[in-house]
Amino acid sequence: MTANPASPPPAAATGRPWTCPFCPLCCDGFSLAAAPRPTLIGSDCGRAAAALSHFGAAPASATARVDGRAVDHRSAVAAAAAILGASAQPLFAGLATDVAGMRALYRLANGCGAILDHANGDALMVSTRALQDRGVFYTTLAEIRNRADLVVCLGTNATDHYPEFFRRTAPAADAPARHVVFVGACMAASVPGLEACTTEEIGFAGDVFDTVALIAARLAGRRTAASDPALDALIVRMQAARYTVVVWESSSLPAQGALVAEAIQRIVNTLNRTTRAAAFCLGGGDGGYTANQVMTWLSGLPLRTGVHMRGLVHEPQRYATARLLAQRAVDALLWVSAFSPELAPPDTGLPLVVLGHPGLEEAAARANSVFIPVSTPGIGSAGHLFRADGGVVLPLVPIYADTLPGVAEVAADIAANIAAARAEGGAR
Amino acid sequence: MSTLRLKGGRIIDPANGIDGEVRDIGVRDGRIVALHPAEKVDREFDVSGMVVMAGGIDMHTHIGGGKVNLARMLLPEDHRANRAPDNPLELASAGCCTPGTLATGYRYAEMGYTAAFEPAMAPSNARHAHMEMGDTPILDHGAYVMLGNDELMLRMLAEGQDFERIRDYVGWTIHATRAMGVKVVNPGGISAFKFNQRKLDVDEDHTHWRITPRQVVQTLARALTELGIPHPLHIHASNLGVPGNIGSTLATIAALEGLRGHLTHVQFHAYGTEGARKFSSAARELAEAVNANPNVSIDVGQITFGQTVTASGDTMRQHANADLGSPRKWIGADIECDAGCGIVPFRYREESFVNALQWAIGLELFLLVDDPWRVVLTTDHPNGGPFTSYPHLIRLLMDKSFRDEQLAKLHPEVAVNALLRGIGRELSLNEIAIMTRAAPARLLGLADRGQLGEGAAADIAVYREDPDREAMFTTPEYVFKDGELVVQRGRLVATPVGGTHFLEPEFDPAIERMLAKYADEHLATAWRHAAIGRDELCACANGGRLLACPLHGRGGRK
Ligand code: SF4
Ligand SMILES: [Zn+2]
Ligand SMILES: [Zn+2]
Repeated sequence: MTANPASPPPAAATGRPWTCPFCPLCCDGFSLAAAPRPTLIGSDCGRAAAALSHFGAAPASATARVDGRAVDHRSAVAAAAAILGASAQPLFAGLATDVAGMRALYRLANGCGAILDHANGDALMVSTRALQDRGVFYTTLAEIRNRADLVVCLGTNATDHYPEFFRRTAPAADAPARHVVFVGACMAASVPGLEACTTEEIGFAGDVFDTVALIAARLAGRRTAASDPALDALIVRMQAARYTVVVWESSSLPAQGALVAEAIQRIVNTLNRTTRAAAFCLGGGDGGYTANQVMTWLSGLPLRTGVHMRGLVHEPQRYATARLLAQRAVDALLWVSAFSPELAPPDTGLPLVVLGHPGLEEAAARANSVFIPVSTPGIGSAGHLFRADGGVVLPLVPIYADTLPGVAEVAADIAANIAAARAEGGAR
Repeated sequence: MSTLRLKGGRIIDPANGIDGEVRDIGVRDGRIVALHPAEKVDREFDVSGMVVMAGGIDMHTHIGGGKVNLARMLLPEDHRANRAPDNPLELASAGCCTPGTLATGYRYAEMGYTAAFEPAMAPSNARHAHMEMGDTPILDHGAYVMLGNDELMLRMLAEGQDFERIRDYVGWTIHATRAMGVKVVNPGGISAFKFNQRKLDVDEDHTHWRITPRQVVQTLARALTELGIPHPLHIHASNLGVPGNIGSTLATIAALEGLRGHLTHVQFHAYGTEGARKFSSAARELAEAVNANPNVSIDVGQITFGQTVTASGDTMRQHANADLGSPRKWIGADIECDAGCGIVPFRYREESFVNALQWAIGLELFLLVDDPWRVVLTTDHPNGGPFTSYPHLIRLLMDKSFRDEQLAKLHPEVAVNALLRGIGRELSLNEIAIMTRAAPARLLGLADRGQLGEGAAADIAVYREDPDREAMFTTPEYVFKDGELVVQRGRLVATPVGGTHFLEPEFDPAIERMLAKYADEHLATAWRHAAIGRDELCACANGGRLLACPLHGRGGRK
């Protein structure tokens, strides 16, 4: 990030209002110039720039492939249906798609008895498991803008992976003065949105686990063996603040990160007995929150759930993609990655179907594989994504009319193909 | 063109004054029509000896949106115990207290319900709410948008802005979120909690904005009246669950000053402080107030015993109750300067004095209000219990001896002393049809639903007579949605996508300039995303029909 918040966007730049689908902040306040290459205007967000570099001013031409050979859409759909229909236990993973894509994938999962996990399933499960065990008290972008007088970034500077976080939550004109504390993280060099805030960096007292445990214990009034002057000062600040927001990042935590999430929940709950506080989890990228929300409302259970003959089974640990593949507990993989060619399927010898960005062609070019290029919501097609704070859903508009089908269309085609094959007596 | 005839049923159609008359019902292209007895039809159903009613309408049930989905996430234990569907028409969907949307649609339809309304849609969560409702098959649906805790309205009140501007803002919000009405939850209290206020009575000042719940209720009720919104202001009153809250509930009714208002889940708002335990039934006081104020309607929010989860926008009260939760975990949230959310799992126990009394208070309210047109049957799903307990609840209301049997099992002090013991009233089928169909349709302004007259939508439930009313209402013989057979002998035979009911009120578009400025300065979403367009609504709602509903009078500016 080399953003200089003071410098206005170049005067010559024009563009259309656009909603960025490339991280769960879903920024909708910047515009996009479509030519000569899609370029964000009004933000120097590196994450968006990197993602946009995989798109041209016009739709890419891409062809479906079966075993690496170019085929038409219908043959690719039939080959995908053959793989999934013949599988005793398919895994749907990646799941980087929008609401419509997930709706259709859930129907397809019912048609072939699949287990569903997301590419960021490990990070998603950190927040999901903490929520299932203890609950959560969270806040949203506009609440932070208007209310937060203390923001504590725990183990993350927020901007490395969510470059516009501070601008999206920058204090409103009539909001209280804000102090931002980075705990165990280095503030980025120049951060748009922090101009009006005072900032401070302090170290962990030990590691992140020790630190949150210490804060939680001291807030709860327990005397702890260890003492750390910087943390003590932070605790006093939190108790005096009118509205503390604890920001954390689910993918930046070490193993057992759910313990950190639970400690943050204890911290927030204790503060809420006397003053006000809330947590904000940065996570859910690549459509992770979207996939989890849709899965949960349709089935009643979050991701890492299988649609089995014996019913729905939710296994937050056992149904991790890496573990299922390593244990050979699945015999076919459907990988969905509509936003980026960088989200490639894991290495596996299993029969493979990829619904992906055209740049993923090489990821499914071997024998026993099907590649179907799909449109990217917010670039080639409309769609909806959930923002990081949970309840806000943003509509995405395309910047050009794509030649490629969306994930929803392809999933529906495959499901229809499987159903038709079954009806003809080709049941597995 | 498709036609069908239901032959020889006993019609219970209170909206048209028909109570048990035996006659045929004709349907053409999804609408009820008069068919000549000799006219050939595509399908005829012999329903002689059976009871024919309009499809059920649940006016207050938390079926879709952020907090419902969080409740699902919070309670995987509720969803783990499940079987694969034995019906190939069904997709897998699990849960008892907060089932997946698919199961919600399936189970409602299997009980003869054809519409359900989400009562607590946060403006910032409207797209999500419409998505979940669109994925609730078979049922038509709609939502009440929450206002009265949005910082903007409180600010406008605090600044003494013209009523007309607030009214236009209310109209715009209904339009933008594609709502069917407005709900106010703990008026001003959700916002006050964000400013660390823990209690807010009807005439108490909001700690920051210095306005009172009374002002909020009055302003919203007046705005809806002037906008011509058919559904009266849906009011979740102050002090939910607090012993002695009958005072604030009666004060809220008084605050309406004769304007129409619908007090929701009143069971949670009818508590006195008498007796050794300082917790008593105030059902009689509340029922008397409802009887005396024809501008007031209610739904009950009956509790049923067992595990459930309470999901509410009332962060202030849910935070206060979180320590009583079981299992001991909860979710809370401050949301986008327009709402809040609190989710607390709860187990209602027969041995608990408080829970037993809550159970009795709910039934007392049903039975002490004289006019069934102003009482709607609800459990405030899932807050008092899951909607699947409706047939049991119907039996409790229709069968005094069954009710007494259940009462006798409860905490002994309640079993012996409850006001309920002395109430002999047994509701008739006609009264049940009013409380579960005709009244909610009328309170929502759905002229062509909740009734079986010519021209009405052919949403029809046919029940086999059974003196055990619980059994009767659990498994209808046939259910039709817009003339399509969707359930036969309690089993789904079709799962069409339901339609979305919404309103298009008039408002002065000049209000949008102010709203755009406010959004820019205070909110976190671009102004161009503030309103859901018609096409977008269709996509959110999964391609279901868009059912724009008529307003009262001309609506809009006078
Ligand atoms: S912060 Fe995220 S949403 Fe915003 S522009 Fe960057 S990548 Fe896109
Ligand atoms: Zn309520
Ligand atoms: Zn409710």
